[in-house]
Amino acid sequence: MNRVAIRMLIGDRAKYIGILIGVTFASLLITQQSAIFTGLMWRTVGGIVDLPHADVWVMDKKVQYIDDIKPMPDPSLQRVRGVEGVEWAMPLYKGLLKARLPSGTFQTVNLFGIDDATLLGGPIEMVEGSLADLRKADAVIVDENGAQKKLAQVASDGRSRPLSVGDTLELNDHRAIVVGICRVSRTFQSQPVIYTTYSRATQFAPRERKLLSFVLVKARLGEDPTELARRIEERTELAALTAAEFRWKTMAYFLKYTGIPVNFGIAVTLGFLVGVIIAGQTFFNFALDNLRYFGALKAMGASGRTLVRMIVLQAAMVGLLGWCIGVGGAALLGHLARDSELAFKLPWQLLAISGGAVIVICMVSALLCIWKVLRLEPAIVFKG
Amino acid sequence: MVIESERAVACRGVHKSYGQGDTRVAALRGIDLEVRSGELLMLVGPSGCGKTTLISVIAGILDHDEGTCIVFGEDLKRMTRAEKTAFRGRNIGFVFQTYQLLPALSAAENVAVPLFIHGVPRRSALERAATLLERMGMAEKRNALPAQLSSGQQQRVAIARSLVHEPRLIVCDEPTSALDRQTGERVMELLRAVAVAPGRSLVVVTHDVRIFHLADRIAAMDDGRIQEVSEAPERSPHPTSGVP
Repeated sequence: MNRVAIRMLIGDRAKYIGILIGVTFASLLITQQSAIFTGLMWRTVGGIVDLPHADVWVMDKKVQYIDDIKPMPDPSLQRVRGVEGVEWAMPLYKGLLKARLPSGTFQTVNLFGIDDATLLGGPIEMVEGSLADLRKADAVIVDENGAQKKLAQVASDGRSRPLSVGDTLELNDHRAIVVGICRVSRTFQSQPVIYTTYSRATQFAPRERKLLSFVLVKARLGEDPTELARRIEERTELAALTAAEFRWKTMAYFLKYTGIPVNFGIAVTLGFLVGVIIAGQTFFNFALDNLRYFGALKAMGASGRTLVRMIVLQAAMVGLLGWCIGVGGAALLGHLARDSELAFKLPWQLLAISGGAVIVICMVSALLCIWKVLRLEPAIVFKG
Repeated sequence: MVIESERAVACRGVHKSYGQGDTRVAALRGIDLEVRSGELLMLVGPSGCGKTTLISVIAGILDHDEGTCIVFGEDLKRMTRAEKTAFRGRNIGFVFQTYQLLPALSAAENVAVPLFIHGVPRRSALERAATLLERMGMAEKRNALPAQLSSGQQQRVAIARSLVHEPRLIVCDEPTSALDRQTGERVMELLRAVAVAPGRSLVVVTHDVRIFHLADRIAAMDDGRIQEVSEAPERSPHPTSGVP
C-alpha cells in the first residue's frame, strides 16, 4: 500500500505542490535565518576562534566578552606563568585604534599585539608575506578583507586599490608598514584586523597605566584546561576561561544584551508557523478531498494501521523532500553570498534543528489527517 | 426452508437509527432477511427506505442497534472493529455507485487494490488484475487512468476490483444509476455473468426496474422494513461470454 499512498499524494499535483511549498518555505526560512544568526554569533567570537593555540584565556574578572577590554597590570603575566600546569603563557594586547590612511580618512581597526619573541597568537593563515616579518621595524600584518575594502588606498586618479605589502598607514600617529596580508575570521563589527608585536602595540595604543588585555595560556600535555583555568583563578584572582567557555561567555553576552536573538527568533518562529499553517492546512485539505477514497480502502479491508502508515509515509515524503529543497536553497544562498558581508554559518546542528522543525510540521499535518481518517465511518462510501 | 450451509446472510430483527432524541430517525425497523449462497438478490424500494443502510450493515461497515446479522456464520455485532475490517477484507467485495476508483492509479492497479491491502506481492496482484480485466473485456485499458475511461468502463473496473480477491459476498450500491440504459444493462449482465457463482452471493441495491429480470430474488423495502421477498418473475438466460 506504500506505493498506493505515494501515487495518491503525487496524483493530486496541485495539493502536492502546495504542501511541498509550505514545507520547503518553512525549511528554507528556518535554516537560512538560523544560519545567519549562527554566523553573526560566530563573528562575535572570531577573535577567539583565530587563536586556536590558546587553551585558556586569562583576563580581568570584570570582562564580559572579548571586546570588553579591562586591562591588567603587566605582572599578571608572570603570576600566570608561575601556576603549575602552564606550558606557556603569552601576553595579548587587543584594542580599537584609529588608523589614518594616506588619503587622510580615518578607519577604526582592531589591533592585536602578540608576543614579541614567539609571535604566538598571530594569524594562522598568511596570504602574503610571513609572520616573522613582524620583527621588522614598524611592521604590521593586515587582514585581507580589511585591506581590500575599508583600508583600500585611493590613488591620485581616484581609483581604489587594496592595501598591499609595503604600504604605510598611521596608527595613533605612529607609522606602520604593512609586511603581510593574512586571512582571519570576520569580526562582529566587520572592522579590519591588524596584527603587530605586543611591545609595538603598546606603543601604538593610547598611553594607559595598564595595557595587558589577555594572557594566552597553553596547558601542559595531559593537563585538563578546565582544571588549569580553575587553578589560575585561585592563584591569581584573575578570571581564567577555557577557549570554549570564553566563546560561550561572549555569545551569551550578545544573546542577553542585544536584540539579535529576538529578531532572528521572530523570523524563525514565523517560518515555522507559516510552515505549519500552509503545510498543515493543505495536507488536511488533501485528506478531506481523499476522504471517500480512504473510506473505500477502509471498507475494502484496509486496517487503521495501514491507513496511518499511508498517511505517515505521505507526510514523511513531503517532509523529506521539502526539507532537502529548503536546506539546499539556504545553503545555496549562503554559498552565493560567501564574499558579501552576510554572516552565514551552517553547521550540522542547524540541519538537525531545521529537520526537527520539519518533522514537527509534518507530524502536526499528519495527525490532523489521521484524526479525520480514523474517525471516518466506512459507510461514507455508499453516500455517493 | 434454507439449510444453514446455503445461507450467506441471515438478518433477524435488525434495527438501526440515526441521530438522538427528537432528531432520531429509524432507518431499519426490524429487518428479517436471508441471502442464499450463489444467488443474486436485489434490494429495491423508494429512496430513503433503508436499502443502503441495510447493505452497509450486511457488509459490516455500519453497526446496527438491535437484532442479529449473521454473515457466513459470523455474528457481526460480536466482532471488534479490527476483526470486522479483516472479515470485510476476506469475504466482501464492494461495487459503489460512484465507483470510488483512485484517480492516480491505473485500471489494473485499481483492480489490484484489495490484493495490495492483503499484502499480495505487487507483480502477482497486477497479473491477477490483468486477467480479470481481460475477462471483463478491458484488457487494452488496463494501463488507463480512471479519467481516461467512460462511465461504463469505470464501473467494469470497479466490478473487477470487487471480485479480484474472490470474496463470498459482493454488495453493489446502485451500480447502474450513473449509466445510460444500454450501458447499465450490459454492466449488470456482465456482473451477473462473472460474479454469480456457487458459494458467492450478490446483493444489489437498485431501483432500476430495467435490471430486475437479472435477479434470482427481489426484496422490496419500504419505510425501513422488508415488505416482500419474491422470486424474479422472468429472468433472461445468463450470457455465456463475460464481454457485453
